[in-house]
Amino acid sequence: MDIIRAQGLTVGYGAEAILRDLSFGIPGGRITVVLGVSGSGKSTLLKTLAGLLPPLAGSLDFAGSPVDYSSERSLGSLYGRIGVLYQGGALLNGLSLYENVALPIRMHYPELPEDMVGDMVHAGLAQVEMADAAAKSPAELSGGMRKRGALARALVLDPDVVFCDEPSSGLDPITSSRLDDLLLRLKETLGMTLVVVTHELRSIERVADQVLVLADGRLHFAGEARGLAESGDEFIRTFFLRKDPT
Amino acid sequence: MSETILLPKRLRAPEVAAYLAEIRRKSADGGLTVDFREVEEFDGSALAFLAHLTDCEPGLGVVNVPDALTRAAARFSRRPGGHWPEKSAAETSGNRMGRLFRSLADRFLARLRVLRQYLAMLGDEIYHIGVYFKTRKGVYPGETWNQMFFMGYRSYPIVCMLLFLVGATISITSADQMRLFGAEVYIADLVGYAMLRELVPLMTGVILAGKVGAAVTAELASMSVLEEVDALRTMGVVPERFLMVPRLLSITLVVPLLVAMADVAGILGGMLVARITFGMLPSAFLKQMVNTVGWADFAWGLAKTVVFGWAVVVGAGFKGLTVGRSAEEVGRATTESVVLSITSIIIIDCIFAFVLY
Repeated sequence: MDIIRAQGLTVGYGAEAILRDLSFGIPGGRITVVLGVSGSGKSTLLKTLAGLLPPLAGSLDFAGSPVDYSSERSLGSLYGRIGVLYQGGALLNGLSLYENVALPIRMHYPELPEDMVGDMVHAGLAQVEMADAAAKSPAELSGGMRKRGALARALVLDPDVVFCDEPSSGLDPITSSRLDDLLLRLKETLGMTLVVVTHELRSIERVADQVLVLADGRLHFAGEARGLAESGDEFIRTFFLRKDPT
Repeated sequence: MSETILLPKRLRAPEVAAYLAEIRRKSADGGLTVDFREVEEFDGSALAFLAHLTDCEPGLGVVNVPDALTRAAARFSRRPGGHWPEKSAAETSGNRMGRLFRSLADRFLARLRVLRQYLAMLGDEIYHIGVYFKTRKGVYPGETWNQMFFMGYRSYPIVCMLLFLVGATISITSADQMRLFGAEVYIADLVGYAMLRELVPLMTGVILAGKVGAAVTAELASMSVLEEVDALRTMGVVPERFLMVPRLLSITLVVPLLVAMADVAGILGGMLVARITFGMLPSAFLKQMVNTVGWADFAWGLAKTVVFGWAVVVGAGFKGLTVGRSAEEVGRATTESVVLSITSIIIIDCIFAFVLY
């Protein structure tokens, strides 16, 4: 069953539409990869799905309820059920990793005692194999560690859906592969729904269950990832085989 | 008389610039031919050079262009003709006065939109403070203390030092005039009244704009650029409350302390000069001063400075949270924040003066 459904979604900045008339579903408990060339609007779409950028037209349903971008209550309800891993991690620099992961807990449940908060933070960091780095500040962490720390923060309140904006960008192949393993483990052990924006072919081949391909300002393809590389579609073949269509 | 310029084997930007100057100098005489036969090594400037000679230099002969250069020139993407990028029809239509008027009107309307956003943010922040006091949620524990440390403890030395110097300067500059009228004793009234009512609030506001306002904008703008503000939002945290309420509470709490210290520093500065210039004893200075200056003046100066502090922090937050996505904009927002804060302070001070006097 689809946890997110978009109908006729047009997204962009100001009056300028970047993607037009997108209709798709994102199934629960699976990894959906949004792919496209640079500038195709992947991150813009992710912002709209995460409630940060109102669509210019169309509608979005989350877990069966329409998202009202003008209503604080509706957006608050959406934010309470999602986690987002940003491209650079977006950990708050003034706080340690522990405090970063504790932040959503303290903000939403200030009545929880500190020992419980500590246990939840430790569990979140252990999930991403970062428990030893809890006291470090984001500036002391490597790019890969920052992203794993940010993933721990995104996961700490057990969201229904986690959005990942180019998780592999700027990482070496080994660190990138470890991050992919982590995403797969989250899906398999927790049944989590993940929406991953990327153009890293290696990641797509490893983690994707379903793909949304964006090209020329529209949804070019939506469907199963299996066998995508052998697709007869010229754009997808170009993307996967890195071959000039001419 | 015809002349031929033989181009060198290596034709890159430095050679192109040198030969172009030579060609322009000699082409006036007519019958000039440019020979490319030696050219083996070239770059984009050589391709643009060839296109320029062909299209823009009438009467010039271009010969022996190597195949490699011809092939590369065929693939060379020329810029479109005319102005590039093209100006919009609105920019070029109408007469000069019309365009000037339209441009001024656009800028005025843009400023009005910014003012509306600024006032909306001020209203939002008052709402967020109310919500925070009601729910005690949405602000990181201990953040108000951190901000008080930064805004108060880190600012008081500079505030006190500058206001001491301002007090001394006021005293020095008015000493001669006072002596002229035999009114030396009134220097205490002048310093006390000027410091408490006007100079301490104004100078403290300006120092806060430069020190606190710039720092707040730089911090918030960096957070916006690094997607930390978006991250807060998707965590269900309202950034305008999480980031701004501690700063506003902090400025409200530290300003009275700063004003009290600055008043004392300014009066001490004036008192020191009065002692040196007129030999006026500090006790006599204070006795004379309290005849004119009272608690109401102190309270009025305090109230003004709290309003200035709010103008600084709201302006800084407004500029920091509405920044674009590039690192360059962080610097621009910081500069604009200081200008906005100082402008607001002076406008508010002017309004206070009309109301008060």
